[in-house]
Amino acid sequence: MRAEMPGPQKPLELILARNLLTSVTTPAFLVARDGTLLFYNEGAGALIGRPFEDIGQLGIEEWTRRFGPFDDGGEPLPFAELPLTRALREGRPAHDELTVRSADGVKHRIAASAMPIVGAASGASGAMVIFWPVDDEQAREVTTGRHEVSR
Amino acid sequence: MRVRVWGARGSVPAPGPEMNRYGGNTSCVELTLASGETLILDAGTGIRTLGFSLPPDLARINILLTHLHLDHIQGLMFFPPCFRTESIIRIFGPSSPEASLEARIARYISAPLSPVEVRELPCDVSFLDAPATEWEIGGCTIRAEAVTHRGPTLGYRITDRDATVCYIPDHEPGLGTDLAELGSEWISGFDLAREADLLIHDCQYTDEEYPGHEGWGHSPVNDTLTFASRVGARRTLLFHHDPLHTDGFLDDLHRTARRRWGELGGDPEQIAIAAERAEIAIGAVPASAPARLAV
Repeated sequence: MRAEMPGPQKPLELILARNLLTSVTTPAFLVARDGTLLFYNEGAGALIGRPFEDIGQLGIEEWTRRFGPFDDGGEPLPFAELPLTRALREGRPAHDELTVRSADGVKHRIAASAMPIVGAASGASGAMVIFWPVDDEQAREVTTGRHEVSR
Repeated sequence: MRVRVWGARGSVPAPGPEMNRYGGNTSCVELTLASGETLILDAGTGIRTLGFSLPPDLARINILLTHLHLDHIQGLMFFPPCFRTESIIRIFGPSSPEASLEARIARYISAPLSPVEVRELPCDVSFLDAPATEWEIGGCTIRAEAVTHRGPTLGYRITDRDATVCYIPDHEPGLGTDLAELGSEWISGFDLAREADLLIHDCQYTDEEYPGHEGWGHSPVNDTLTFASRVGARRTLLFHHDPLHTDGFLDDLHRTARRRWGELGGDPEQIAIAAERAEIAIGAVPASAPARLAV
């Protein structure tokens, strides 16, 4: 049997983070140190209306263009102000309330917490962003796993 | 390169008449390089017998530890070269922000668990964090990377001329995920094991046993084979046998693994199971290896 020839293997801490996110219903993104969206779980897929398998990895400009976040006036927030960016820059958790847009164009108000991921061998390799819809009913559905990812 | 298994058991030594063919000693594998130099992978109880087989005048010894669970270091204190003043022993292992490799191993080789302390060993022993980049010993190239297990754990890829061995004795790459579906770059250990001539890999559980042991850091047969298939291993040696698995049980496990490998499109002859004292030659076989003592 021949091995596949993939891109570079991800650091172990990102592999384990992805495994963890796959196993929880809380919506979450996994982002590389350079801001590339590496993965999001089914909970996040339910909120933004598309499963990760349909989207795949995206550069930061592309995923922020698609999903936001946006300010109250609908303008994209500067990347430097996102909790994710602050977590990566400062090496500590960051939290904020933001507006994101799902694939069907509907905007959702969310609370987002970003945590840097620092590996034993590779140092700061990315961040995990966990978020909750501020809307109570939707939050309840997502956090209890009673949601469906549209395909 | 010549590969010799001195201990293939996982978790705890498992002696007994029903374990005789595969052996009861814990993880230890000896690599004899084409240059004649010896590399030792892990220091489970199998290293004790290995030590008796080494020529007394063999001075330089390199040991690569995957991690510090007891089944991988227990034999260190009973390794005869440790008690020879002329021995120069270098031990590589995973780094930790908590304490040095020596300090962590000294928790075992110290009172009240041991009658001797590390500092009392008469040999010249040094403890080194496995480098983050490739390094060389005896003409071979070694690469270490963190892999999925409980606690800091390394896998090793050793390339000696035309032969590559990958050693990942404790590994649960399928934890929380489907290895068959996962992108290769997301598979723990993939780069280490890619197209290895011999993959020595954890296969502690049957698929039926695994659901009661998820997260314990070890693989069931199906994940071991899927991993071997994904990385394109040319041969796979099933390793780290559960201490409850008797010779007859392991015979059955091996048959099952070979059949499933065939179903995956591979040659069943590519799947072997580790037994103490078994030898496998890969690529150039050492011509100048020192004479060995019968033990």
